[in-house]
Amino acid sequence: MDSKKYEVEINGVKSLVKLNELEIKYLGRNGEINKLLSAIGNIPNEEKREYGQKVNKLKQKIIKLIGIKKLELLNKKSAAYFDKTLPGKIYPKGSLHIISNAIEEITKIYEKIGFIRVSYPEVDWEYGAFESLNMPSGHPARDDVETSFIDIPAHPKFGKMVLTPHTSNGQNREMKRVGQPPIRMINISKCYRPNWDATHTPMFHQFEGLCVDREITIANLKGTLDYFAEKYFGKGTKTRLRPHHFQFTEPSFEVDTSCNVCKGVGTIHELSVQQKCKVCKSGWLELGGTGMVHPNVLREGKIDPKIYTGWAFGFGIERVIMMKYGLDDVRNYYSGDIRFLEQF
Amino acid sequence: MNIKITYNWLLDYLDTYATPDELQKYLSLSGPSIERVEKVGNDYVFDVEITSNRIDTASVVGIAQEAQAILPMFGKSACLKFNPLEEYCFKKYYLNHGRGIDNKKLKVIIKDKFLCSRFTAIVLENIKIAPSPDFIRKRLIACGIKSINNVVDISNYLMLALGQPVHVFDYDEIKKQIMVMRKSKKGEKIVTLDEKEVTLFGGDIVIEDGSGRLVDLCGVMGGLNSAISDKTKNVVLFVQTYDKVRIRKTTMTTGVRTVAATFFEKGLDPERIEPTLVYGVELLEKYAQGKIASKLYDIYPEKHIDKKLEIRNSKFEKIIGIKIEKEKIEKILKNLGFEIIYLGDGRIQIIVPSWRANDINIPEDIVEEVARVYGYHNIPSILQPIVYVNQPKEMEDIFIFQNRIKLLLKHLGLNEVINYSMVSKEQLIEFCLDPKKHLRLSNTLSKDIEYLRTYLTVSLYKNIVDNTGKKEVLKLFEIGKTYQQQIGELPKEIYKIGIATNTDYFDLKGIIEAIYRELNINELNVPEIIEKDGVFMAEIDFQSLVDNCQLVMKYKPIHPYAVIKLDKTFGISPHTTYAIVRQKAFQSKLLRKIEVVTLYQNKLTLRFYYSSTERNITEEEAKAELYKVRP
Repeated sequence: MDSKKYEVEINGVKSLVKLNELEIKYLGRNGEINKLLSAIGNIPNEEKREYGQKVNKLKQKIIKLIGIKKLELLNKKSAAYFDKTLPGKIYPKGSLHIISNAIEEITKIYEKIGFIRVSYPEVDWEYGAFESLNMPSGHPARDDVETSFIDIPAHPKFGKMVLTPHTSNGQNREMKRVGQPPIRMINISKCYRPNWDATHTPMFHQFEGLCVDREITIANLKGTLDYFAEKYFGKGTKTRLRPHHFQFTEPSFEVDTSCNVCKGVGTIHELSVQQKCKVCKSGWLELGGTGMVHPNVLREGKIDPKIYTGWAFGFGIERVIMMKYGLDDVRNYYSGDIRFLEQF
Repeated sequence: MNIKITYNWLLDYLDTYATPDELQKYLSLSGPSIERVEKVGNDYVFDVEITSNRIDTASVVGIAQEAQAILPMFGKSACLKFNPLEEYCFKKYYLNHGRGIDNKKLKVIIKDKFLCSRFTAIVLENIKIAPSPDFIRKRLIACGIKSINNVVDISNYLMLALGQPVHVFDYDEIKKQIMVMRKSKKGEKIVTLDEKEVTLFGGDIVIEDGSGRLVDLCGVMGGLNSAISDKTKNVVLFVQTYDKVRIRKTTMTTGVRTVAATFFEKGLDPERIEPTLVYGVELLEKYAQGKIASKLYDIYPEKHIDKKLEIRNSKFEKIIGIKIEKEKIEKILKNLGFEIIYLGDGRIQIIVPSWRANDINIPEDIVEEVARVYGYHNIPSILQPIVYVNQPKEMEDIFIFQNRIKLLLKHLGLNEVINYSMVSKEQLIEFCLDPKKHLRLSNTLSKDIEYLRTYLTVSLYKNIVDNTGKKEVLKLFEIGKTYQQQIGELPKEIYKIGIATNTDYFDLKGIIEAIYRELNINELNVPEIIEKDGVFMAEIDFQSLVDNCQLVMKYKPIHPYAVIKLDKTFGISPHTTYAIVRQKAFQSKLLRKIEVVTLYQNKLTLRFYYSSTERNITEEEAKAELYKVRP
């Protein structure tokens, strides 16, 4: 092959199409190089090695020349048209539901301090939702927990079938599963209550924490709540406990976190005047209910309250999202509207 | 429940310099939550949340008692300057009125002593029905209660002041002056004060007069027939505590929810009856010109006995986490009305005040009292030691794989949706599913969410339909549970992945294959893809993915031998499908993979990759292999 010919040809080419043609001519399956290689049969054995090496060397040269030319042509072509400000190739971008994102975030926060996520039924007997939580049938405290019932005959021992109105039904199941403390549980699940208005949906999500061990105290509960508040809502977020009443905890509390907008002060400086913070109104936002596990609940879970103590909480995921991102129209969460979904 | 009381009313009993705002702040931190303070005239109205265990705080005096214990912990002095619970007593009543009056008789018969833990009544005559005095009217209105006349207002005023609902009958409407308290019979009817006829379930506490009429649905609402009217001259002041379970049952079965019932159903302190009746008499004498006309009837079969509880000193630190000085504990409990006796060995006997007899049952309840008044803000914040707890593999897998699949689908451009777990009957029928095989809510809020779903696609189909016109290309997925009914057991809750698109069959099939590729699944059939009005849907059982997945594919050593690519076009027909061609082609040991190059009408061009892991094969060899693949 005339060594000068390919050089002249490749260097003289003016378009990418022609260059491609040349590439096939030299490097294609029936190209010049392959022709040379298949002719190796006619070469005396002692020269074969040297011949092969030469052809290969030639092949590399051609590849290199074509490569250089290709770049040159590409650049030349775009010199006039190359607009770097154009958007890049569009890759698909879907979305995860904002609840999924929050669940993932919360799970990771608790994982770091040794809490395992569990999965328990969303449809349970009254026993799991109430009796096992120190809420005997007919107790007025059940009024505070509006419940969706399933239309089938009641179980002789466990009562009516219900959609779990809270994640607390996981408490008894986790105690029985573990058998003996330590317990470090985070139970995240769908919950259901017959409530449907601007701030309530008949289905929502809760995350339930349960910690049972020797020497677990209110101070530990406060430690865990402060840890969560700082990790989830941001550094400097404070929590406070206020007295409350729940049947399954004693003492019982409501937890507030300091408002991230006004930093817990209750007022913000806006338009050069001091105004009431529109998000919290008082410096604090209510997070949810918590308390020290009631001895009856421990007993029902076959744990000796003389040896072990524990704390538990149940918070709404929709609630923490609202507090963190100000996303307060909960009805959108489960409407399936693509204009809502694709924002996350 | 919430109650409203006013600041000035509170100051009738409580001596303090704490401002309304300070009261709100400090009580909310350590006691009842004061949700709002509103200035009304020259008074302030507190809107107080009452938790179901602390019905004793649902009154002016109840809040005053709390304030007396809490405010000093914040450096605000507070003490009860006038304690109505002690000042208004029968002893004082008899001192003022003697025991001889018995002009107007009342015959009381209680058929079942368990209905009513304490029954008191007294008749007052010469009542002058008129508007209430200003202070009563203003306070009631501020607290959200309508002012009617002096007698009715006094009964409401007593309830707010002391937390004990009372009823006032027109004495002359109690026929033959006989009151029989008994259980109702099923189907009995009474017209209540609000002029509604209530049919009773049976077993409700009622009062029948001498003519056989029901005059009171006890603890819930009085009868219209014996109500106070403009013509009322003589009244019966009626103060009781009832069996709370029965009151609750009555209010639940009749649907009549009154403020009185929300008090009685929580169980009231029979000792509170004494001050309520005596204070009531004083108010009726003063503001309705009433005169005592009967004996004071007091039927109290089982007198209150002080409840005692023992607690170990160490219990406080065990639950709270820090040591609180003995003196402080003592001071807090005493201010709340508890008495303390030190028994030695670190044991303490606590005597519970009568108004706390219902909610203080276990040592933990005492700890709560001390801790809250001591101040939760004064307890340090200490994370418990981190320990290892084993997470069951099957639970861990659920979350790990859900996340992997969710992220994959998101990156493939799908949008995750979360739907209600319930669907409508119409949705089921649209998918030819039998509603009878689905769990149904007996008290659903809406027909749209009546049945627990067994397929996610039922919801996803609706999502696509609902989103029509909002976006051209829709690709949605959901990972959630479905609920399979099981007789006599809880339903089987099965995690599924549902996918729906408005694109085409192969788009959806490609998504499913991508999931399989991501999880290195080889041996699993693609689930059925259904099409309905241009919506393509499929549903994958989540567990089957977990079971079939391989974390790492079986490693194949890289070999240096040539790969021969060959293209071949087939005319596809029911006898020559891709699957058949593929199956035939893979009988060759040399075939590595097949790719679809093009499909034009029924002409399917495939590319076959042949190679051996042991040697270089020739094009002829590959061609010979491919030749075997023919229709």
